[in-house]
Amino acid sequence: MAVGVKVVARPGSLKQQMYLPAIAEGMGVTFRHFIKNFVGNVTGNRDKTDIVTIEYPEQKKKYPERFRGLHRLMLRDDGQVRCVACMMCPTVCPAHCITIVPEETADGRIEKRPKLFEIDELRCVVCGLCAEACPCDAIRMDTGEHAKPTYRRADAVLDKEELMSRGIKSVAVQGGVGAFWREKPEVANTGQVQSANGSRSGADTVPAQIVPEGPPAGPVVAAK
Amino acid sequence: MHMWETIKGSFEYGHPGFTGLSALIKIVYLMLAFGPGLASILTWMERRQSSLMQDRLGPNRANIGRFKAWGITHFLADALKFMVKEDFVPVKAHKFLFALAPVLALAPALIVAAIIPFGAPLCWGHLTEIVPTGTCGQAVDLQIARLDVGILFYFAISSLSVYGATLAGWSSYNKWAMMGGLRASSQMMSYEVTMGMAVLSMFLIYGTLEPGAMVAQQGYWPWQWGIWGIPTALSFFLFLTAAIAETKRTPFDIPEGEPEIIGYFVEYSGLRFGMFFLGEFIEIVFSSALMVTIFLGGWHLPFLDGLADRVPNIAFVLITHGAWIVKVFLFTGFQLLIRWSLPRFRSDQLMQLGWQRLLPVSIANVLITAGWILYSR
Amino acid sequence: MAESPVPGSAPAPAADTVTVTVDGHAHTFPKGTNLLEACNQVGANVPFFCYHAGLSSPAVCRQCLVDVKGQPKPVPSCYTPVADKMEVTTNSAKVLDIRRQMLEFTLLNHPIDCPICDKAGECTLQKHYFDWDGKFSRNDGIKVHKDKVVDIGKHIVLDQERCILCTRCIRVCDEVAKSPDLVMANRGDHEVLTTAPGRSLDNPYSLNTVDVCPVGALTSKDFRFAMRAWELVATPSVCPGCATGCNIEVHASRDTVYRLVPRINPAVNKHWMCDEGRFTYKTVRQSRVVAPISGGQAVEWDRALDDAAAGLKAVLDRSPLGVGVVLSAQSTNEDLHALARLAFDHLGVQKAYVAGKDEGWHDDILVSADKNPNTAGAKAIGGGRLRSLADLSRDLKAGSLVALLVLGEEGVLGADPATMPLDKLDTLVVLACHHNDLVDAAKVVLPLTAWAESDGTFTNKLGMVQRIRAALAPAGDSLPGWEALSHLARRLGATMEFTTAKQVFIEARDKHPFMRGADWGRPILPVQLRFANSRG
Repeated sequence: MAVGVKVVARPGSLKQQMYLPAIAEGMGVTFRHFIKNFVGNVTGNRDKTDIVTIEYPEQKKKYPERFRGLHRLMLRDDGQVRCVACMMCPTVCPAHCITIVPEETADGRIEKRPKLFEIDELRCVVCGLCAEACPCDAIRMDTGEHAKPTYRRADAVLDKEELMSRGIKSVAVQGGVGAFWREKPEVANTGQVQSANGSRSGADTVPAQIVPEGPPAGPVVAAK
Repeated sequence: MHMWETIKGSFEYGHPGFTGLSALIKIVYLMLAFGPGLASILTWMERRQSSLMQDRLGPNRANIGRFKAWGITHFLADALKFMVKEDFVPVKAHKFLFALAPVLALAPALIVAAIIPFGAPLCWGHLTEIVPTGTCGQAVDLQIARLDVGILFYFAISSLSVYGATLAGWSSYNKWAMMGGLRASSQMMSYEVTMGMAVLSMFLIYGTLEPGAMVAQQGYWPWQWGIWGIPTALSFFLFLTAAIAETKRTPFDIPEGEPEIIGYFVEYSGLRFGMFFLGEFIEIVFSSALMVTIFLGGWHLPFLDGLADRVPNIAFVLITHGAWIVKVFLFTGFQLLIRWSLPRFRSDQLMQLGWQRLLPVSIANVLITAGWILYSR
Repeated sequence: MAESPVPGSAPAPAADTVTVTVDGHAHTFPKGTNLLEACNQVGANVPFFCYHAGLSSPAVCRQCLVDVKGQPKPVPSCYTPVADKMEVTTNSAKVLDIRRQMLEFTLLNHPIDCPICDKAGECTLQKHYFDWDGKFSRNDGIKVHKDKVVDIGKHIVLDQERCILCTRCIRVCDEVAKSPDLVMANRGDHEVLTTAPGRSLDNPYSLNTVDVCPVGALTSKDFRFAMRAWELVATPSVCPGCATGCNIEVHASRDTVYRLVPRINPAVNKHWMCDEGRFTYKTVRQSRVVAPISGGQAVEWDRALDDAAAGLKAVLDRSPLGVGVVLSAQSTNEDLHALARLAFDHLGVQKAYVAGKDEGWHDDILVSADKNPNTAGAKAIGGGRLRSLADLSRDLKAGSLVALLVLGEEGVLGADPATMPLDKLDTLVVLACHHNDLVDAAKVVLPLTAWAESDGTFTNKLGMVQRIRAALAPAGDSLPGWEALSHLARRLGATMEFTTAKQVFIEARDKHPFMRGADWGRPILPVQLRFANSRG
């Protein structure tokens, strides 16, 4: 026997080893359902409650809150892109689907920002590492939408404007939430829920990421 | 005028023109109309039946206006889709073999229909008269080719379809397709052995290889059909199992495994893929037809003994043909039931089942049948 | 650099050595060794910011404090020479605490804008923070703000907030470039780095300040925001900018060079290189010959080689005297050797010329007037046959040359192309890297790899044979010169069965005295900076 083969004990009795009784039983079940539904269809009084089909585009299942969907780029208060082109997301991306070309701005407030920010949704494996790696709450995957089907591959590459069109203003202080956020877990826990529902509905409700009380948040470069 | 007489004469019963033309009509009807037609409907039936078995809604999208008909138009939509989709050929594929493979998968499935009798013999010239069985002088068999090798022809041709799968896998220049093709060839070759062995005991019982003669030996009454009797029932079971494995359907769909394991036709698209797809369903139709012929009384209509002595020949032929169609249809439905009830075997289990279980049982079956026949004489 | 003795062994101290106990183990060091160097040589791993092995030691960062027995306070090890019977502790709880507190001081007003800082990933401050501190800031007040994005020179941008006031850059300007451009201004936490009044940081060695900066205070305009450091892969090589042959690392990512940085070689460039040399990478992929050309058409290699061989053969069959070769001072020793073997040993060519870039400016620090990396090698391999471009011009005008085989397109035409009547030639075969007028005039052009795509050796003006390594894949269909010449040789009936540059090197080393003792070096894997230590 080859190395590494694990021998699993098979069912003991002859009846089980034959499989045939179980096969007949299983086919009996499926046949019974077939007859029941067939007769129901023909006579027009099929029990609709046990139909498990969800007719997708018209009916939709409610996704869990942590569902990872289409990316979006969050916005600053003045509507500019929040991203500072730190390249954390393309670095961590296992599929190499994010392309960022940084640029310098004449505006003294922001030193670095993406000139080009493209995500190839065909390549994306929806792992969520980009959103996790982002130090600025700039990229999120909480839109609750799927990547749209396209006729051409190039159309699946979303550019900065398209990604920003779904973005909302994040209230997270750019650069972190202050010195003691880790030492006050009760505040952080209640405050840091990135409410996916609120943002998904498209309304103006912003995710409630609350700056902990007490010492003011450390000022940051970009907010200067 | 003389010429015309000669030509006309050659189309009289028994002459080459008549034989050729009748064969051509039968070929067109059975191989090009009935087989692909029923196969197309099966593609819908599979989805409809599985939905009913699984408490789902089933196909309900490809409606033509208000014409819904339980989604039967889906097979038309499928056909249209296959025709207009991009016909993709991998850059490094072997172009000729890549084109040949779907033909090799589809053609054998159609050709095997040649030996299958699909109705009682037609009595040429006495169509509207009552012709008792065996009294017709100008019989036209509803069978494309009455071959003495009969079922062996079926095996010979159907084993060619393994080339379709293997070449499709190899010529695609894709390692997954290659592996799928190898899985297909190993599986099909393994189960061909069991298939042949399973039907061998039926040859012993019937004493013939010719399907028409087999049907004739079975009677009208269901208990006169080939399936009854311990060795024959076993033979039926073995043959059915092997036939499902030959058509590469669940629980033996390891070569294709639509959702998870990539099959030999992964690089195919459009009409070429459609040929594989249709070929698989045509295989189901004609393997069902063969099993109906050997085990389920062929075109015999149950419970109506002596019908030939009461209705005109043409009506009798149509009734028996209808009975054959219904039997084949129900049997394909039975195959679909199996496909949607059983889980897939693992590759090693498949080989184990084929070589270590089914083959010894089928060989033992042949020996027991032979011994029983020897004893009962 | 001093050889580090085996830790733990303490032989009897000779006259010029001292014995120092570092963390309980006795070690022997030469007299005068810096204590910081000594500790780090034996693996004590003492962190530092302001100390630099190539510069003087001001002991301003206080990061390298260690405990010396008998001293009342911890001492800055970078400022302390070793003394006999010294007992040093670098890892006691007290020292670690001091180290952490010093780091906390340094970080007090640091903006921690690592996401937008070019130094992130190769930052000494980042490394020390993760190595020695790792705690969250206790500073909840407003940080001191200073000027960001200050344009202080042609190549450099200054961020005063990030600066940790280590003064390394000031010392580079003072001690290496001999151009005191930078100073510290103000005091306390308002102390900033700035340019001296009326000056800007424009000296020819200014980019060394970026290399030595332990944080992202000084960043190169050229590299700014171009690529994150951890995406780069470092390949050791030699600068092709001049005859000095500074040792460099080529930092490339996905087949693109992003910067060149100096590699330490005490015998050549120490820790430094000039700004001009740093930008030699810019031309690597500019106007490249990417496919063989024959008769003005891009063709397959086979066709081009056949045409080249046929053209040369037609002349050679009449007389080898009609054929000339041009050696380039830009080519590697291997390419030159392959050409020399083909032309002189096999074809019997008598006329050989040497070409290269024109002379330029120089100083007495690193920059040479000779702007070719391998003039010494070309002259040595060409030997006594070599003649100048003026001779080439004369021979062309006289019509004594019928065919010319040129290795390297650089500078062959000289300042005035009219002096080189190439139209008098029957056959002009050029092995070229970049397009220029010579390439346009050639009958057959064979594409060569650029220096950053080649393996080989350069001989600098001191006669040192130094290895260059391929950091990029060859552009287009280009081949190394020795390989192209081997193919050409085979078509001319010569046997040159080279399959690797190393084979050519070994043959050349055995033949040419100037290469004797040279070493090809072991194969090395390119180092991804993501897994390397900090730079600066």
